[in-house]
Amino acid sequence: MLAHGEIAVAEGAVDAPSPRAAAPGNGPSSPHRPAVCWLLSAGGAVAVVAAAAALSGFHAGFPARWNPGVAGGFSSLDNWVTAHQQSNFFLGTVIGDISTVLAVCTNGLLSFLTWMTWVGVLAAAGAASWLAGGWRTASFSAVVVAVLGLSGLWGESMATLSLMAVAIILSVLVGLPLGVAAAVWRPVGQLVRPVLDVMQMLPSYAYLVPVVILFSIGNPAGIVATFIYAVPPIVRFTQLGITTVGGDVVEAAAAFGATRGQVLRKVELPLALQSILLGLNQVIMMALSVVVIASLVGTGGLGDSVLQALNVVNVGDAFTAGIVIVLMAMALDRSSGAFGGRIGRSGRRSARQLALLWGAVVLVVLAAHYGAGLGDFPSGWSLSVSTPINTALSTLQNRLYHFASIPVVGGTSNLSSFLTLDVLNPLQRVLTALPWWVVLAVVGGAGWLFGGLRRALLLGACVVAIGLMQVWSATTVTLSQVVVALVLDLLIGIPLGIAAYRSRAVDRLLRPVLDLLQTMPAFVYLIPVVLFFSVGNVAGVVASLVYALPAAVRATTLGLRSVPVDVVEAGDAFGATARQRLGKIELPLARPYLLLAVNQTIMLVLAEVIVAGLVGAGGLGYSVVVGLERDQFGQGLTAGLSIVLLGVIFDRLTQGRSRAGTFTSAT
Amino acid sequence: MTTVKPDADAEVACRGLWKIFGDRGRELLASGVATRSRAELLAESGCVVAVRDVSFEVARGEVFVVMGLSGSGKSTLIRCLTRLVDPTAGEVRIGGLEVLSADAAQLRELRRRKVSMVFQHFALFPHRRVIDNVAFGLEVQGVGRTPRQERAREVLEVVGLADVERAYPSQLSGGMQQRVGLARALAVDPDVLIFDEAFSALDPLIRREMQDEVIRLEEKMHKTVVFVSHDLDEALKLGDRIAIMKDGAFVQVGRPQEIVGAPADDYVRDFVRGVARGKVLTAEWMVLPADPGAPTTSPAATVTAGTPLQGLLPVLISTPGPLGVVDANGGLLGFLDRAAVLEVLAGNDTVTARRPPDRAALTPSGIR
Repeated sequence: MLAHGEIAVAEGAVDAPSPRAAAPGNGPSSPHRPAVCWLLSAGGAVAVVAAAAALSGFHAGFPARWNPGVAGGFSSLDNWVTAHQQSNFFLGTVIGDISTVLAVCTNGLLSFLTWMTWVGVLAAAGAASWLAGGWRTASFSAVVVAVLGLSGLWGESMATLSLMAVAIILSVLVGLPLGVAAAVWRPVGQLVRPVLDVMQMLPSYAYLVPVVILFSIGNPAGIVATFIYAVPPIVRFTQLGITTVGGDVVEAAAAFGATRGQVLRKVELPLALQSILLGLNQVIMMALSVVVIASLVGTGGLGDSVLQALNVVNVGDAFTAGIVIVLMAMALDRSSGAFGGRIGRSGRRSARQLALLWGAVVLVVLAAHYGAGLGDFPSGWSLSVSTPINTALSTLQNRLYHFASIPVVGGTSNLSSFLTLDVLNPLQRVLTALPWWVVLAVVGGAGWLFGGLRRALLLGACVVAIGLMQVWSATTVTLSQVVVALVLDLLIGIPLGIAAYRSRAVDRLLRPVLDLLQTMPAFVYLIPVVLFFSVGNVAGVVASLVYALPAAVRATTLGLRSVPVDVVEAGDAFGATARQRLGKIELPLARPYLLLAVNQTIMLVLAEVIVAGLVGAGGLGYSVVVGLERDQFGQGLTAGLSIVLLGVIFDRLTQGRSRAGTFTSAT
Repeated sequence: MTTVKPDADAEVACRGLWKIFGDRGRELLASGVATRSRAELLAESGCVVAVRDVSFEVARGEVFVVMGLSGSGKSTLIRCLTRLVDPTAGEVRIGGLEVLSADAAQLRELRRRKVSMVFQHFALFPHRRVIDNVAFGLEVQGVGRTPRQERAREVLEVVGLADVERAYPSQLSGGMQQRVGLARALAVDPDVLIFDEAFSALDPLIRREMQDEVIRLEEKMHKTVVFVSHDLDEALKLGDRIAIMKDGAFVQVGRPQEIVGAPADDYVRDFVRGVARGKVLTAEWMVLPADPGAPTTSPAATVTAGTPLQGLLPVLISTPGPLGVVDANGGLLGFLDRAAVLEVLAGNDTVTARRPPDRAALTPSGIR
């Protein structure tokens, strides 16, 4: 199932550059007027200067002698932290205590799950998901729990479950009150928003290095990293849920003399509940999506299994562990999603039913533990699928990777070398040859066009900061990969999005694939990518491409669906053909969403930079990975920081445009 | 501006009330420039004058309607009464409490027990069943579950919704939802009910039904009511007195007859142009000391003072002699001018109606 999704996308990449696919992609950009003219003329002028500068080899890159020693500074900071681990109050007591509490909670939960025995876990999972979503959800969860055991990864699964549970609970404990505070007190909201922006913009693991410096390697570091990654949605959704409660209802409550606390408890929170639960669902999904990456900082469980299997290139084992993570994510997603969905509806179980159900679960647990003396899932029952998967994948690899196995294109190896030699390398050469001040001018100019002087200054500062950290050439390498992945994503994603909008059949076909891609932990699809594209820059590009594709497709479809029905109908009434309707009505009106698609895709591609580094793509991601592995924190931190700065630049550039788009289409 | 004498019997009293939206509201008021027109002020200072020096009193048991087009400031005005919107200046007294100087606790008590509101778009709590919506006011007062639900059931009975108490608001029709809103307001047994365009979101038929419901309840409970409306027919039907509001200020305050029969200015005249005056004006309104055609002391026939002009037609046709008007006790008040009455019935609104006999609170307040 997993392999199918991957291959479908990989093949999609093959015919992407065809003109048919490119034409609709150009559609949305045609209707913008003055800004684009400006951009084109400014871009043209800059291009001429740049070409001249590049050809003469004048000042290529960033001068190496302008080096304030940022990397060295970070390294000595790390040394300082290590030296003062015990003596410093903050490091020793605050961080140390947090660390201890997290470790104790995780271990306690794990022991409890072990004590419950596998039958008990099965019963509890079934009961909880039945309450959330009825029989279908319950049977799905039960099957998943059974698969956890049958895969032979029961112990690892329970370890991951405990780690995730602690990270999720921590996220809720911190995120929920923070979201309420942000909604109720405007200053808190104003303070929280930019922080969340940065947290969500951070590529998932740019902050691994600082977390490791503070918490060192181990479970607490993994939990903290997961927490930082997963907490923003619940803060945002809580805040959103409360602030979108109708003003009239709040006023009515006030008119009846409710205190601020009563309004919050009796009106705002209950009405925001659905939104909050949606946030919780997001938290769970985000936490599970970084299971493998969390293992980079030493957390055990399934993520560690994937990493270890990848290290010895045992694709079958990595796949098994990966599938188990995906299934766990799907089960939790379905249950929590169903729970959120049913809250709004009227039907609730009575207290008696609840007591009966949980009483039965407790009885089952006690019987399994004391009566039958069960424990972990019996290892004799596990079915190893590792060997058949290895065989199947190597057959597939033989069919697709080498030579002329696919018509026209050849094999994926041919595709890989084409991308390397004819696309990535030339682009990289051009970018590397550009003097830093040309880049500064282009980025600053674009920032000025879209967001005025302030934005121009911000973006310019980002460019200079990247240069001063002496990671200029690594950044250009990363940039070339990001650009290629982005272009391919849009070339594939937008037509697919249009197709899904136009044809119900395509939509139905695409939906589960996109769901799978979105719920899949960031690492799992690296396995087939490595299989078909080996390691290196192309593998990194493909990984980023696959990771960001669902966002491009979904935003396009969503945008087209958001076009008001009456406007489309008016087009039909004047006799527009389907093509005219798309080109003249639907795409122009969906423009804000298309720009959002660009923004989201870039951000997701950037978020994958470090993961791409793990499959051998050069540049910043690789520097972070090396920095983590070899304790070169200075290098890892500067590279991570540059990814963040790159993210800020791209986000500010594309966000300004999507906002402008919203305004033009509104007026 | 004519000052209104404080009336000890007034349930709601409001004097010199101002509300200016914008940061510089107080400053503007202090500097005295706030007397200039709304548009000028908006252009100059970015401040909007929503309520402009409004004074009025509502007697216990009276239905007082505030009429005006949207944007005239009427919704802001009634929100100032319980400080859902904080007024910029003025005085508000409800049931003896000086509202503007009340502390948070006093204000809460006022909102919890003395004044209830019914909202334009119902503002029901979508996550609560009908019965819990109705019981909300009691709940925030701290009344226990059983007694507050009992009370809610009683009130639901009164508004005819006893059978839907377990439903959620979204499962009800608009008219039923507003009945829930009405029940919610009545459940705390307030002295004052405020209706904020409560029926304007309803279908005409349902609207009439709800108006009748209010009249019925009013006859039974004698609440003091402040009713905001932009529907003149509704105002004439419900109001003991009506205030016409324009650009934040009261233009005219008076009984329905006075508004229709003696518009204070062209704005009000325009407003009441379409009204069937024969239905609103009564015999009392047209009464003269003597029949101008035949000065005599004995009328050929008499009508009671409260008869609408329209109801005079049969008498006008059947009786040729002088028409006398008598009060409820049969005392002769005066005579009617046939020609003038017929002119009014024919729709000629240029006929100047006579000043009615002296009645309380005829002086329009807050006229500028």
